[in-house]
Amino acid sequence: MIFIMAWRNIWRNKMRSIIIMSSIAIGLFAGISVLALYKGMMKSRIRNVIDSEVGHLQIHNIDFKKDYDPQFILANGAEVLKSVRDIPEVKLAASRSITMGMLATPTGSAGVQINGISPDLEYQLSQLEKKIIQGKPFDPKKKNEIMVGRKLAQKMKLKLRSKLVLTFTDTSGNMVSGAFRVNAIYQSDNAPLDEKNIYVGIGELNTLLGIQNAFHEIVILLKRDADVKKVQQQLQQKFPACQIESWKEISPETDLLVKTVDQYSYIIMFIIMFSLAFGIVNTMLMAILERTREIGMMVALGTNHVRIFLMIFLETIFLTLGGMPVGLFIAWLATAYFNKHGLDLSGMGREMMSSFGFGTMIYPEFPTDKVIGVLLIVAGTAFVSCLLPAIKALKLRPVEALRR
Amino acid sequence: MNTVIDAHNVSKVYNRETVPVYAINNVHLHIEKGEFAALVGPSGSGKTTLLNLIGGLDKPDTGSVFINELDITKLSANKLIDFRLKNIGFVFQSFNLIPVLTAKENVELIMQLQGIEKSVRDVRVQQLFRQIEMSDKMDVRPAQLSGGQQQRVAVARALASRPKFVLADEPTANLDSKSAFNLLDIMTKLNKEEHITFLFSTHDQRVIERARRIITLVDGRIVSDTAAVSTRHEKADV
Repeated sequence: MIFIMAWRNIWRNKMRSIIIMSSIAIGLFAGISVLALYKGMMKSRIRNVIDSEVGHLQIHNIDFKKDYDPQFILANGAEVLKSVRDIPEVKLAASRSITMGMLATPTGSAGVQINGISPDLEYQLSQLEKKIIQGKPFDPKKKNEIMVGRKLAQKMKLKLRSKLVLTFTDTSGNMVSGAFRVNAIYQSDNAPLDEKNIYVGIGELNTLLGIQNAFHEIVILLKRDADVKKVQQQLQQKFPACQIESWKEISPETDLLVKTVDQYSYIIMFIIMFSLAFGIVNTMLMAILERTREIGMMVALGTNHVRIFLMIFLETIFLTLGGMPVGLFIAWLATAYFNKHGLDLSGMGREMMSSFGFGTMIYPEFPTDKVIGVLLIVAGTAFVSCLLPAIKALKLRPVEALRR
Repeated sequence: MNTVIDAHNVSKVYNRETVPVYAINNVHLHIEKGEFAALVGPSGSGKTTLLNLIGGLDKPDTGSVFINELDITKLSANKLIDFRLKNIGFVFQSFNLIPVLTAKENVELIMQLQGIEKSVRDVRVQQLFRQIEMSDKMDVRPAQLSGGQQQRVAVARALASRPKFVLADEPTANLDSKSAFNLLDIMTKLNKEEHITFLFSTHDQRVIERARRIITLVDGRIVSDTAAVSTRHEKADV
């Protein structure tokens, strides 16, 4: 009966209840939408990191990443590469030669990471070809071609066919230089990386470094994200002298970002529900005030405090839960739509988005994994919101309440 | 006869700190089982306060109230709620039904609070609605009932828990004559046939005429306590 009373009580003032339920629905919609947007952004960021930046796994000489000294080539690189390609979970593996150097033009110079790549493999591995905004991919017939990022090109005033000089130390510690001509300018969703990374053919870089057919890095793309740990362990056992890192270890800032955003999502949800709690408390206090005499009469007749509390708690729960399915449904609907068609945030500025490593087209994803957490926050809000009105009701003395 | 209500030396003082006002002043009152007694007196004489003290809704500043030999002034707030539920039926001045429940649910609520089984509740509710002659209005919400009908439902609710006695505070104050007589007929019938004890406050002459005992309060003191010389229903019985 208390359950029935609570349910009917919330419909005594339909307009008021509908308004509070609507505000909860809107709040929930807003909260879930933010979570969905974050989830979409994080997923896209992770995909960017894996598919076009670092791959799932990388293998280096154990000393190479300490100082990026080109002498620390991957020992027996060709054998390692062959073994990697033989692992069934591996989709693609490519080698890179890497060194740090100076890019010089007639107008200035900049420190860069010079990546020697096998173009055909790299195009599949890091989608480099798709990132080209000016110029053409590497031409196997031409030599000393270089691909630079848009941000670096702007900084160094580089254009297609511009000539530049790369200077770095070879494996013997001698300074070597090579002249290159810009064949393409690329742009990824990560502006800081575009500014730092330049790409040349692996053969030309190896010749300058004096490492012939050796290389410094193997980048591995797996068929499934879930196999990262398994393959990493397998490789570590097989090549204990090598440094084998997953994308989370290579790009810890991405992992940290995902975890931080996860926490922020709950904080945002909490803030939204906290604001709504004031509305719920206000509504419930008004309801209690209007029913002072009735509640006093119920206590006079023998309704104990537990039942009075339960009635007010249920009313608050009904008010809160009433708006919840609607909010969830609208959020699911909106998320499904934008997940299919994408949400173009270019209005917010591509520069700003890419400076954080995000693309401008986001595909929000309904945060199914967080729904339980959100529901708990909503239930917690309902419980906290009912406390003040319930205490107010429990403090009523029937003899005073009946006089009103 | 058994003593149902025994109030000893009961006083209730308001504004104790400033100018003390004795709402009830040293009252002694005994009500036996099956009585149909009226508390009468002018407004402010302390009728409602005395009913509240007897009903355990308020605590006296001095004195004790025994219900069936149990001193209810010693009970904690929670125990008092439970005591009221099991022992006292209340009918208040303004109709005081829960508006979101139907007439039947209002009556059933008390029994449910007592933990009585559904099948037993249903039989009792049917019986009570027959007694108040409202079997056809069981599923109607209070707002669709007249004032008199609402008060009859309140009486049924007061009796639902089979209380030791019923306290009624000005039960006919807001009723027209026809409804008031109708309600009084039901109350007197229940008193006569089922020996239910009624103690009600009133200044309604129609109610006073039906009472078999009239206790007059003035300024918080009982100034007279007499058996009625002749009452309408006794006349009717003759």
